[in-house]
Parts: sequence; structure tokens; C-alpha cells
Amino acid sequence: MNSEIPVPTVLSDSSQPSPDPANNLANNPANGLANDPANNPANNPANGSAQSPLAAALSAAEANRPAEANLPAEVGSPAEATPSPVDATPQPQVRFKGEGGRLLLMLPPDTDAESMGLTWYEIWQQLKQRLNAGDRFWQPNTPVHLIGRDRLLDSRQLQDIADVLSENGLQLKRIYTSRRQTAVAAATAGLSVEQHPPATHLTPAEAGQALAEPLYLQMTLRSGIEIRHPGSVIVLGDANPGSSIIADGDIIVWGSLRGVAQAGASGNTRCMIMALRLEPTQIRISDFVARAPEVPPGEYLPEVAYVSPEGIRITRASEFSREWMMAGTFE
Amino acid sequence: MSRIIVVTSGKGGVGKTTCTANLGMALAQRGRKVAVIDADFGLRNLDLLLGLENRIVYTAVEVLAGECRLDQALVKDKRQPNLALLPAAQNRTKEAVTPEQMKKLVAALAQSYEYVLIDSPAGIEMGFQNAIAPAREAIIVTTPEISAVRDADRVVGLLEANDVRRMHLVVNRLRPSMVEQDMMMSVKDVQEILAIPLLGVVPDDEKVIVSTNRGEPLVLSQTSSLAGIALNNIVRRLEGEKVPLLDLNASNDDFFAWFKRLFKARN
Repeated sequence: MNSEIPVPTVLSDSSQPSPDPANNLANNPANGLANDPANNPANNPANGSAQSPLAAALSAAEANRPAEANLPAEVGSPAEATPSPVDATPQPQVRFKGEGGRLLLMLPPDTDAESMGLTWYEIWQQLKQRLNAGDRFWQPNTPVHLIGRDRLLDSRQLQDIADVLSENGLQLKRIYTSRRQTAVAAATAGLSVEQHPPATHLTPAEAGQALAEPLYLQMTLRSGIEIRHPGSVIVLGDANPGSSIIADGDIIVWGSLRGVAQAGASGNTRCMIMALRLEPTQIRISDFVARAPEVPPGEYLPEVAYVSPEGIRITRASEFSREWMMAGTFE
Repeated sequence: MSRIIVVTSGKGGVGKTTCTANLGMALAQRGRKVAVIDADFGLRNLDLLLGLENRIVYTAVEVLAGECRLDQALVKDKRQPNLALLPAAQNRTKEAVTPEQMKKLVAALAQSYEYVLIDSPAGIEMGFQNAIAPAREAIIVTTPEISAVRDADRVVGLLEANDVRRMHLVVNRLRPSMVEQDMMMSVKDVQEILAIPLLGVVPDDEKVIVSTNRGEPLVLSQTSSLAGIALNNIVRRLEGEKVPLLDLNASNDDFFAWFKRLFKARN
């Protein structure tokens, strides 16, 4: 495509996300990746309407960013459009949450829709990944309370959870569940159980609430790993191509960000994405989308991506705080 | 304690089976007792590469079904008696065995063999799960292509989640001349993504194809080849020796290229 336009251009592009790549391409002359917006999981059907703002690609101007750090590279996005919060119903994941000296291990609910419900194997994988990545998040012998919700767990699975927790210096103490069978299995295994009726048990409503505490991960996010978190995400390590981080808050990667990163996934445009080496497949903030330039910049410095009235901007971390102060707010 | 190593890659066709056959043979030549297991049920190949196809009587499935003893199914290599192959069933699919059964098989083999190499099938489905379940270490084979590296990255993540922490990387089918011209990912590029220790680099070599078709692992052949030396070096590193990486440019080198590299290094 003709994406190698050497002139720094602000793309004023107000086409709507379209599932038809050809149509999109026509509306989007400087955008080599035609179906960017259509692929955005945050652009759920409610947002695919005409008034939904479309963010465009980082243009070839991006290649200039180390040279022109004072004039951060522009990416196109309609200036007139105000991004509407994404009504995200993110696929829930296994989560740890500290609360009053205990650790809550929250399993995703067992929805009966086949597309949404995670299998035990997937839950198990997620649990191990989180345990591998979070070893400085808790002290040895921290008690863990398992929030099982409506998930059916047999005694074997409960034992597996207890075993893997104790391998990581954690003790499974108590189980909250709304399923009778799970409660019986837990009681048989000698754990204390609290059974709640399905309606009243601890289900944090994730939209429109205060953000969860930041998720701290010390790991390499490898291809295929998706981290979703209703707060900020801090990664000590690299995020490889094929990985994705979807956070309701900010995303900070102390390493190379090469995968997909979405900050402010529930609609907050003031969220930011920071990385020591920002070479993402795609970055999204709220429902603005930007992708990496075709020609990679020669040199990488720590950078910050944020939403400006013109769309997603990227600026050097060293210049960022000054600019942020001067501009006040970008709303 | 015997070492149980799975050879895996995610992507198909990058050289898992070739590596397993050659590493198994080279280890056996060094006097180790080696069992290689084909975990690619339904699409077995390891027997072909080792030239043992016509000697298979029983397979792993028959052992698990109790129709024969384990040592009846093992095919001993006549050229190298230290090497034995546990073949996969060709008429079954990956679902024919479970991870638990694989663990049992490998545990039985580990009692009499110093090395158990498991040749994993491509993909990350049941066959892969079976192959990695008994493993304590892994050799990740990849070629310097983004698709292979991406899949290898995914596999490294899955291995980590399955408590296989000891992983080594083999970069297969590298073409030094293409790397020099910036047309191929370099070993450094691959390592930057995968971030696991490098066990060795095997150059692209036509002799590998010949040896595959003949059913004679490259490390057996009398005439030395660059790929054969690289594979032998990998085995030496696997055994804890410190062996410097091969200079892959050495074979097709001239003075000018040498001078150019010298100049590059200086800058």
C-alpha cells in the first residue's frame, strides 16, 4: 500500500469500522493495515456505529520520533469525535487480590455459554501463570481464600489448587462457593467452606467502579498469553508479539512491548501505555487504535503513549512529564 | 537420575524429528544409554529417520493396552546398540493415549536408560500435552522465521506453565550468508524474543535431506558435514561441556568476506 508517505501527516480519518477490508482501505489511504478497527475486540457491536470514533494508524511520521521528541509523532484520529466508553464485558480471568492480609483467589464464573466459559485446563494454566509471575506480591504462608463463585470444583481439582498454592508458599484456607457439590468436596478435603446463594456471593461488578489494585507481573508475556485486568498492569519483563495486555487502567512495561496493549479498556481515555522499548503490534487506549509504523525507528527510547485531541500520541518518556504539565489535560 | 527431554517447537517442519534422531544417535555414540520416544501418534516419522521402520513389531499403544511388554516394543538399533526406539502407533490418533499413560511409559524407560528423548508432534493439542507431561527438560527447535519463532514462544510459555523450567534453544536451518545480507533473522534476533539459553545453531545443509531419506542420522556418517558437527556440539553442550559456537561462515568463505566481517566487527 501507499503507506510510505515520507511527510509527517496527520490523518484526518473518520471512517467507521467496517468489516469489509476493501472499503476500509479506500477510506484509509495511509493505513496499510486495512482492518485494524474491525479487529478491535473493544469495538464491540455497541461501538461499531457511525458516531464511534475511529483511530487510525501511526503514520510514516512515526519513524521520526526519536529525532523530534518535542513534536511527538502524530497519529490520525478524528478530532471532532469524543470517544465513548467501551461497554466492555471482558472475559474474566483468574485473579489474585490482596485483602486484609489474606489473598483472595478469584475464579471466573462458570457461564454456560460455551464460548465464554473457561475449561478447567485453561483456569489451571492461568493460575500457574499468575503464580509464576507474582512471587513478590505476597509473603510466605499467606492464607488464601478461594472465591469459587458458581464454578463446580471436584475434590481432585481443589487438591490440585491447594498443592500448587503450597508449592508457592501459600495456604488454601477457606472456600466461598455457591455450588453445593463444590462445598461438599471442599468440606471433605478439610477446608472451611462458606456457601452463598448464587445471587449474593462476591461478584465485583467490574464496570463503572473504582479500579482494582494494579496487577504486578514479573514474567515474559509470551505469544498466546492474554492478561486482562480491571486496573493497571505493570509488567517486569517483555511482552512478546502475539501476547496481549488489556487493562482498565495504565499499562507499564519495564521491558519491550511488542504485543498488543490496550489501556483504559473500559473507556478511560486518560490512561497511558509506557514501555522502555515501545514497538507494539498495536496499541489501543480506550477505543483509539494505533499500530506500529511500517519502518521501525532506528533507535528506541523509553516512551509514553497517550490520547491527545488528535488521537494517540507517542512521546519520549524524558519529555513526557513536562509536556503533560504544560498541556494540562488532554480532554 | 536419567534426563527426560522433550524436543518440541509448536510449528511443524522445523526439524524436531531430525534433531531427536541425531541427538539420540550422537548421545548413544558417546556411550550413553538412550531411549527415543515417538509421541507423534498417527503421524510417526522418527522410525523412518532412524531407518528402523521395518523392525517395528509392537508400539506404545500395545504396551499401554497390556498386549506386550515394554522391552518387546523397544526397537534396538543394530548400528548403535545403546539406542532404542519406542515407536508410536500409526493407526491411532493422539487421543489414543493420555498424559498419565505417557508419564508411566517414560518412568518405566527412565529406570534403564540415561536419556529419554521425546519427539513431540507439532501443535499444542493433545499430542503435545502427552509429549510434555513426563518431561523434565525441553529442547525448543526453531528456524529463523517469524512464524516458527512465534510458535516457539507460545510453546515456551506453555512449558513454563507445565513446570518444565529447564529449556534450551536450537536454531535450525540457519543460512549465514542470508543473515549477513540482513535477509534472515539472526540467532540474536531469535534469542531476543525467546529469552532462553542457546544450545546450538544448525546450519541449513542439503546433506540433512539425504540422510533423512536414507534413514541414517547425519551424525553416523563418516564424512563430516557442518550440520553434523553442529549436532555433535549440541550433544556435548547438553552433557555440560563448554563448546564454542561453530563459525558457520567458515566453509563458504573467501578473503573478501573475512575482511568485511573484520571491518564490521571493528565498527
